[in-house]
Amino acid sequence: MEDYKTYLAENILSEDKVVTYRLLSRALRVHPNVAKQMLYDFHKTQSSKKPGTVYATYMLYGIKKSVQNQNGNAMDIDLPSSLPDADPVDDEEVPSYTLVLVQEERLADVLKEYETITSIHVYSVGPHPAKDLTLLVDAAQSALAIKDDAKKPQPRPIVNSHVRRRERKGLGLKAAAPAKQESKTKTAPTKTAPAKPSPAPAPAAAPAKPQEESKSTAPAMEPEAPTATTKKPAPSLKRNTSAASGIMQAFSKAASLPKKAKTSEKSTTAAEETPAALSDDGEDDDDVPLPKPDAQSTRKSKKEREEELRRMMEDDEDEDMEETADSPAPEEEEEEEPAVEEPPAKADVAKEEKKEIVTTSGDGRRRGKRRVMKKKQIMDDQGYLVTIQEPAWESFSEDEAPPADKPKPKVANPAPPAAAGKAKKPAPKGQGNIMSFFSKK
Amino acid sequence: MVTLDEVLGSGLLQKPSGDAPEALQRQITNYKPLHTFKLEKTRPYQQQYADIYFLRLTKIRPAVEAAASAAWEGTVLGGEKVKRVERVLDVRQGELCWVAGTVYMDMPLKPSILEDVSKDRWISAPTSVGHYYSGNGEDSVMLEDDSGRIRLVGNALQNHFMVTGCIVAVMGTENANGEFEVIDLLFAELPPQPERWSLSKGKKEADSSEDVEMMDASFSRQSHKPSSKKIALVSGLEFSNADTSYAMELNLLLEYLLGEALDPSVQRDELSHITRLIIAGNSISTTAAEQAKPAAAFDTTTVTNKFQPQIKKYGYDSSSYNPVPSQLLDSFLSDLLPTMPVTLLPGALDPANASYPQQPIHPAMFPQSRTYMPPPKAGAGKDRDVPGEEEPGWFDNVTNPWEGEIEGWRVLGTGGQNLDDVFKYVESEDRLGMMEAMCRWRCVAPTAPDTLWSYPFQEDEPFVIKECPHLFFVGCQPEFGTKVIHGPDGQAVRLIAVPSFSETREVVLVDTETLDVERVKIVAE
Repeated sequence: MEDYKTYLAENILSEDKVVTYRLLSRALRVHPNVAKQMLYDFHKTQSSKKPGTVYATYMLYGIKKSVQNQNGNAMDIDLPSSLPDADPVDDEEVPSYTLVLVQEERLADVLKEYETITSIHVYSVGPHPAKDLTLLVDAAQSALAIKDDAKKPQPRPIVNSHVRRRERKGLGLKAAAPAKQESKTKTAPTKTAPAKPSPAPAPAAAPAKPQEESKSTAPAMEPEAPTATTKKPAPSLKRNTSAASGIMQAFSKAASLPKKAKTSEKSTTAAEETPAALSDDGEDDDDVPLPKPDAQSTRKSKKEREEELRRMMEDDEDEDMEETADSPAPEEEEEEEPAVEEPPAKADVAKEEKKEIVTTSGDGRRRGKRRVMKKKQIMDDQGYLVTIQEPAWESFSEDEAPPADKPKPKVANPAPPAAAGKAKKPAPKGQGNIMSFFSKK
Repeated sequence: MVTLDEVLGSGLLQKPSGDAPEALQRQITNYKPLHTFKLEKTRPYQQQYADIYFLRLTKIRPAVEAAASAAWEGTVLGGEKVKRVERVLDVRQGELCWVAGTVYMDMPLKPSILEDVSKDRWISAPTSVGHYYSGNGEDSVMLEDDSGRIRLVGNALQNHFMVTGCIVAVMGTENANGEFEVIDLLFAELPPQPERWSLSKGKKEADSSEDVEMMDASFSRQSHKPSSKKIALVSGLEFSNADTSYAMELNLLLEYLLGEALDPSVQRDELSHITRLIIAGNSISTTAAEQAKPAAAFDTTTVTNKFQPQIKKYGYDSSSYNPVPSQLLDSFLSDLLPTMPVTLLPGALDPANASYPQQPIHPAMFPQSRTYMPPPKAGAGKDRDVPGEEEPGWFDNVTNPWEGEIEGWRVLGTGGQNLDDVFKYVESEDRLGMMEAMCRWRCVAPTAPDTLWSYPFQEDEPFVIKECPHLFFVGCQPEFGTKVIHGPDGQAVRLIAVPSFSETREVVLVDTETLDVERVKIVAE
């Protein structure tokens, strides 16, 4: 309770500030009325100790003597009313209160002007006579600057329990968004490098590091990396995880992925092999493989268990990577950004892949159309050869049920399901996945 | 007369006692805004203005004619019986008759659209004339309807306020000059007044409590008084960063309304009874900044030159737009809103549309306070809002003019442009009289669209007062004024001219039971 004296002494006497009751009330978290008394007490004790060191302003409230009242109604009284409507008799005396802020020297004079005083209190105490009201304004502003904090709310003399605030829809969204982002970060790293490690411990780091590695192997490509990244990181991501969780992948629908992952690891990949929707033919193939699969794999595996397992696998992979790639995290940033953009696209592809098998079955054979990713090589406007995979419909007719085939596609099959197709093509060039090896037989 | 000794040692002029005062609960009043003046978001401006006059005449003429036939039916003047004439064009020379129509004031000083067009001025500048009234006899009063127009002369005209757009019935004869000699003149008088609580759903509980309070009031006014609730009316806050002469008063006003100022008894008996703040226009000052600009340019040219290129670097030109006033208003409101609901009407200076009826100030102007507004509707902008369906915002930014019901009383308020414009037509300074006249004309903005800019209404003329308010306030006036007027059918209207706070530092408190008025003047010496 007594700390207000030290506070006031510090602020008024040492720091030469004006302290209003509101500032005091907010600074010490006391009721404004108590703050007024504190100011009074401080002013009184200080003045008795050393007159002339502190100056107070007072706030008065009451009814002034009727001299004051006149000008209020003047506009109706002094008008020569030729008009019947403007009858001064209609006009009534209205009780008029006056709230005055007055310095202590003038207090007695101002009091004399009052008929009754309903309220009087110290408004502020300062080291000088308050000649300039702007000082008080500043003090008032600084009082407002002290914001409520949740732990010790500012005591309000009058509260209103009926206050309604808009329920901010935005807040709900914001709350939801971070959650989503977090889940995303698990699959693909977020934009900010520092944020990444904490929300997504294993997978976030995983895609980035491999890339680093690739960078270090091909430093000449670095300048191009930012421009090309939009295309490249996607495939690379894909490979990476599949490398990490190759076996898991094999059990999930996308049998093709593991293969590529392996091939990429050995960095024998040709451009055509890259499973991404859009991949660059060029030099950067090394880093193409890495980041993408992460996104894709998590997307695909909707079962949580699978995901967990894979993450475990990736963890392992991570550690391996870290050993090989000793480059620090910060540089990874630029690579990661595009990676973030990629996952949604990948997700689409993943969905489409699911849709692929549209079968009509009749007379023992399965016939129908299925969606196949076909590759196209085109020259883009910068003169690069770009391989694009685009979905196309392909009719087929076969004996076995294609869904069963998916994990183990046949090489010889002229029109394999898309996943199988993908798996097939890379096989001749690079080393195939061990699973596909089995399936062929 | 109060002396220093009397007040010393009392109340808050003593040492802190150590016991924490308890928080007071602010009273609430029933509040139901009407959306009479709300415009559609997608509104065309291609229409002609003539429809407003037509609609107004159609709406008010029956009332005027009823009043006129009650007063003049069967009257015999000079051996001649007064006849009713349907149209202005049917008035015959020498015949004693009465006719109803719209007043048109022909004044040389009045801005005229025809003149603008003929002089090839396609952008009409806001008028700078203080008065259209010239006083040299060049002004003339016309009465018109859809058939024609006739000049009105006669001493009877001097006894009434006459502005363009009001609907009157005149009795007299056409003289040899083709002018109509007015012997008597009548307005529509006050429209029917709804009962108190006619709109609010909380009628029942309110009624019972009202009865109790009425009993209280009749027995002892003294004991009743502390329990009465009030609404605070203020206008012309004119937050400005150029003119800080009343910044302290604005602070004190905030403290007063928050209930932080003054001592516990006042806080309990008066401040906690202020249930709502209505801001009637001109919350933001733009003129002050403009005035300050040339002044600043003159004195220290070197300094301004030095700073100019730096200012130019940033996105907008800070000399043409100054965000500080609206930020000040926003922080004022956001400080006040946790304890008191606020109704905000735009005024002439505020960032709303310039033409009547002004639509609410956009919530984007209040980044802090808008959390107290109702959430924006999903389909907003398509149609007129469904009135009364949802709860009004705690911070209700409304139209100008605005109509609503507070604690059962019908309230009509404007930001002041309508009265200021009527004021320019007449010689008198009697603003309360003009407010009264508006009620008796049954038109809250008669001079729209002639001299008061207005939206070209097609289907409805909202300025016609269909139901008589109990409380009619007009903001941004030079001085405070109030009176009660009475209508022929027992209507009673409390008129309040709310002064500009920036000029007078005054707040008006209205009792929600008796509609009695108090003023609070805030002075920082």
